[in-house]
Amino acid sequence: MATVDLGVGRVTPSRRSRSSGRRGGRRRVPRVAPYLFVLPNMLAVGLFAIWPAVNGFRESFFHVIEGQPSRFAGLANYRQLVTDAQFWAAVRSTLEFVVGFVALTVVLATAAALLLQSQRRAKGLFRAALYVPVLISPVVVGILWNWILNPTSGVLDALLHRVGLGQPSWLVEPHLAMGSAIFVELWATLGFYTLIVLGGLQSIDPSLYEAARVDGASSWDEIWRITLPSLRPTLLVVVILSTITGFQAFEFIYTLTGGGPLGATTLIVQYIYDHAFVPPINFGLATAASVLLFLVLFAITLVNLAIGRRKGAA
Amino acid sequence: MSTVPFARTGRRRAGHRPGQPAPTWTSVSGRRPPAPAAVLRTSLLVAASLLAVAPVLWIAVSSFKPLPQLLGDPLSLPSSLSLANYRGGFQQFDFLTYFRNSAIVTVAATLLTLALSATAGYGLAKYNFRGRNGLFVLVLATIMIPIQVILVPIFQVVVDLHLVNSLLGLIIPPAATPTGVFLMRQAFLSIPDELIEAARVDGAGEFRTFWRIVLPNARASLAVLAIISVGWRWNDFIWPLIIAQSPGVYTLPVALGLLTSQQAVPYNFILAMVVASMIPVIVIFLFLQRHVIRGIAMTGLK
Repeated sequence: MATVDLGVGRVTPSRRSRSSGRRGGRRRVPRVAPYLFVLPNMLAVGLFAIWPAVNGFRESFFHVIEGQPSRFAGLANYRQLVTDAQFWAAVRSTLEFVVGFVALTVVLATAAALLLQSQRRAKGLFRAALYVPVLISPVVVGILWNWILNPTSGVLDALLHRVGLGQPSWLVEPHLAMGSAIFVELWATLGFYTLIVLGGLQSIDPSLYEAARVDGASSWDEIWRITLPSLRPTLLVVVILSTITGFQAFEFIYTLTGGGPLGATTLIVQYIYDHAFVPPINFGLATAASVLLFLVLFAITLVNLAIGRRKGAA
Repeated sequence: MSTVPFARTGRRRAGHRPGQPAPTWTSVSGRRPPAPAAVLRTSLLVAASLLAVAPVLWIAVSSFKPLPQLLGDPLSLPSSLSLANYRGGFQQFDFLTYFRNSAIVTVAATLLTLALSATAGYGLAKYNFRGRNGLFVLVLATIMIPIQVILVPIFQVVVDLHLVNSLLGLIIPPAATPTGVFLMRQAFLSIPDELIEAARVDGAGEFRTFWRIVLPNARASLAVLAIISVGWRWNDFIWPLIIAQSPGVYTLPVALGLLTSQQAVPYNFILAMVVASMIPVIVIFLFLQRHVIRGIAMTGLK
């Protein structure tokens, strides 16, 4: 999804006219049909994606408060946003969360994929087991781990207590809560990224390894000199996808910590949700924050395209 | 360490190369004992798999515990395998309604996604028309505007359409997905033009050609898209959370999320419903694992 091959013009006019020519030119060229085929989807895309995006951008410059007519506000929403301590707290938490989540995802998904790749026995079973958490809805992931990490009735602290390791308040102490949130998101998504890296591993040209072995390279040499450099495009995809996932995190946190303790795990999407749908409602402020989130995601995509293009030119 | 890139389970058993260590070691035929590296690798994989699966198994086991045991003794096994928690959840708290809503939304939205993606993908793959590339780029661009970014304005559109607090409001807006259009377009590109030409020469109309000739040839991609879509819609939370405003239209994730945060339902019932909500997706995965993995290769990497 990250580096998309547009494949524009694959159905070339020359190929078409050649094949119709061979059949004696009897065929009429369909003129209306193509538009009818794309119309339903384009209607839905326009109504539920393009128009809301344009309108949201416009509304970020308006005071839109429930029960009042909207009026032009200039940059007031953005000014209110950058002077809101809660907004900066959400930004800081989001950055902490994204950096921790992405870095650990890259390292652990690569490690898991390398282990799986060289495993012979029960490989399919391990792969399926690692993928199980990916199937579980984020809401349920949050409930599940809230239950496990609960200090009084949770399994983890009961286990730690039994072996004499104390009972940390995983979701009550702010730093532990952020760490727990990162861990839970890793738990829930690692199987997906592992499969992506595994796909990348399987497309590495085996002759590279044979050449290395002829030269007497060790397994470590192979990993550092061949595997990781060849994996670079795949790991780039993992970084992009996990960064976007991290910036969008909200659902499992809603049931894991509710954004607490004291807002320590309130990320940017929850900030938007809270201002848009929890009274007192301030749509303008929420859309201004949305525009900033979009700009961040857009920048990430551009960086991705730039890197992809440089790689293609090299 | 083997570096043979094997894609299928069948090949690796046969794929023993000369000059490499024997692929299996449990036989009694006097082969070498396992290397320390292999033991370490398998142990790490076992540990990782346990970490992935154990919480799910533990919640499944615990969902049979009565409330006092659940809260008081987290490490114990259930004293009996009573279905009381499941009965209570379904009978006292309307979970049957939430289950039904989730099922309706998942099936209807997936059918709609298949229809929209297949038609648009075909139009973009197999016709030359003015504006085609522009439309395709427009569809792809929407990858960059996920629902979290347009939460407020898309909600306003649904308000204007009077679809708030209705199942249709849960089904229609998420159904048009750029991933689906992209996936189906790729599938149709690989179908030879000659097949379509032949149908036209035989006098079939454009839609008939699509329905009778083209679509059956894209079954595999339709299956992948259906599986992806079912997973998305069954697990959706943020969109149903803002659209479903009364319990009659709650889906399972919304009900579980709200009831948990309000602490309105005893925890043993919540756990039972959590486990019940996981079953359909896990069963589908177990049966269709190969398609799921292929789907990731197709959408994650393309």
